[in-house]
Amino acid sequence: MTPTRETTDRAPAGVVIEDLHKAYGDNEVLKGIDMTVEPGEVVCLIGASGSGKSTLLRCVNRLEDPNRGTITVGTHEATHADVDLDAMRREIGMVFQQFNLFPHLSVLDNCTITPRRVLRQSRSAAEQEAMTQLRRVGLEELAQRRPDQLSGGQQQRVAIARALTMRPKLMLFDEPTSALDPETVGDVLAIMRDLAGGGMTMIVVTHEMGFAREVADRVVFLDRGRVMEEGPAAQVIADPQQPRTRDFLRRVLNPTQVDLED
Amino acid sequence: MALTTRDRARLSLGIQAGVFAVVVIALIVVIDWEAIRLSFFDVAAVAPMFPEILTVGLVNTLSYTAVGFALGLAGGMVLALMKLSSFPVYRWLATVYIEFFRGIPAILVFLALGFGVAIAFGWNLTSLQIAGSALGLVASAYIAETLRAGLQAVPKGQMEAARALGMPAWRAMVTIQIPQALRIVMPPLTNEAILLTKDSSLIFVVGLTAGAGELTKFGRDGINMYQAGLTPLVAAGACYLIITVPLSLLARRMERRTPAKK
Repeated sequence: MTPTRETTDRAPAGVVIEDLHKAYGDNEVLKGIDMTVEPGEVVCLIGASGSGKSTLLRCVNRLEDPNRGTITVGTHEATHADVDLDAMRREIGMVFQQFNLFPHLSVLDNCTITPRRVLRQSRSAAEQEAMTQLRRVGLEELAQRRPDQLSGGQQQRVAIARALTMRPKLMLFDEPTSALDPETVGDVLAIMRDLAGGGMTMIVVTHEMGFAREVADRVVFLDRGRVMEEGPAAQVIADPQQPRTRDFLRRVLNPTQVDLED
Repeated sequence: MALTTRDRARLSLGIQAGVFAVVVIALIVVIDWEAIRLSFFDVAAVAPMFPEILTVGLVNTLSYTAVGFALGLAGGMVLALMKLSSFPVYRWLATVYIEFFRGIPAILVFLALGFGVAIAFGWNLTSLQIAGSALGLVASAYIAETLRAGLQAVPKGQMEAARALGMPAWRAMVTIQIPQALRIVMPPLTNEAILLTKDSSLIFVVGLTAGAGELTKFGRDGINMYQAGLTPLVAAGACYLIITVPLSLLARRMERRTPAKK
C-alpha cells in the first residue's frame, strides 16, 4: 500500500532582490530595493499606501515588469530575459486583496482548473489534491458552491487553497485581509499562521501589525519606494529606529488618536 | 379649486381611458371588418402554403441564420481579439473590417456574394453558402464590437490570478476570460441573432432555387399564387415571430438574471 501522499509542501524557495527600480512614467514607485528572503522565512512588508509595497510584491512574480534590478526566486532568475515565466509562477502562489476567484467555476473547479489544464493532472488526482487543500482551509464541504455564494473570508480561504494546489515554494500575499469584514479576518490569518508554521516562504503585504508581530520572522518597512527599516518583527514594531517608521506605526496602531503634535 | 396630486393622477388616467374607448368604438363602427379579413387573414385561401412554409421556409430561414451566426461568432471573436492585440497592425485591420461592414448595407454583401463572386471567380454558390457567408461577414463586424466590450468588462484581476497561477496567456484567455465575457454579452448576442434572422430575408435579392426558399420568399410568392391579399405576408411574418419572440424573451430573462456588478 502506498503511503498517503505527503501533506508537507515542496522545499521552500528563497528570494533575492537587488537594486530594484520601477516607475510608471515619471512616477518612481520603487527606487532601488535590496531585500533577501531566506527559504522558509516569513517577511511582512509594511508601509503607507503608495510606499510601493504592493508593486514590490507584484514584481516578484512579474505581474509588474521592473525597469531595473534583479530578482531571483529559488532557481529562477525572474528578471532574466529568457526566464520561463509560466514555469516560475507555477512555483509561486499569490493571494490578492480582492480574492480574484473565477466566478464562473465552482470552488472545486477553481482549485483544479490549473493543475488539470496546465500541469495535465487527471481529474481525480487534481480533485483529490484540491479536497486536501480545501480541508486544510476548512471549506471542503463548500466544494460545489459558486464563489458568489461564499463570504469574503471564505472566498479568500478558497483563494489560498487554490494557490496551494500548485504546491508552491513561495507564497505572496497582497493585503489578503484588507477587503474582509472584521469578523472573518481571523480565519484567514489563522490559515496563514498555519502555513508559516509549516515552513512556507511567505512575503505578506499587510496592515495587520498583530499578525506581523506574531508570525513574521522579519518586517520590512517601505517608505516612498525605499527600504527605510527592517529587522526582527518584534523589534521593528515595538522599538522602531527611524522617525518615519515610528510615525507610520503610531498611525496604524492608533488610528483614532488625534495627531496633536504637527 | 386645488387638485391634490392623487386627484390629478386619477384625472389623467381617466382621460387616457376615455380617449382609448372612443377610438376603439370608432374603429369598430367605421372599419369594414370583412375587407380586413380578406386582405390580411384569409386563412382558408393560404392553407396550401402549409406545411411547406414551415418545413421548407422556416427551416431554411433558421439554417441561413444559424450558419451566419456561427460564422459571425467565430469571425467576431477573431476580430475582437485582434482589436485587443498589442500588435498595432492587427488592431488597425480589425478596425477597418468592422467599420467597413458596419457601414455598408447588408444587401450589398448579398449582391457581392450572389452575383459578384460568380462573375469574378466562376464559383456557383448555393443559397445556403451565399446567405450563410454574407450574414457571417456582416455579423462578424457587429459581434466583434460586442465581444470586445465583454472581454474588457471582465475584471483585470481575473487575468492576473490566472497568470499568477502559471497559466500561459492563451490558456488564461480560453479558460478564464472568454467564458466570462460570453456570459456578460449573452443578452446583446441574442439580440444580434434576432437581427440576423430578419436579415436572412435579403437572400431573396439574388434569387432562390426551388427548395431553398426562406420565409420572405414564401410570403412574396404567395401574393401571386393565392387570391388572399396580403395574407401570405402575414403568414410569413408570423413565422418570423415564432423565431424572434422566444429569442427576445430569452434575452430579457438573461438580462434580469445577470447579477449586478460590484
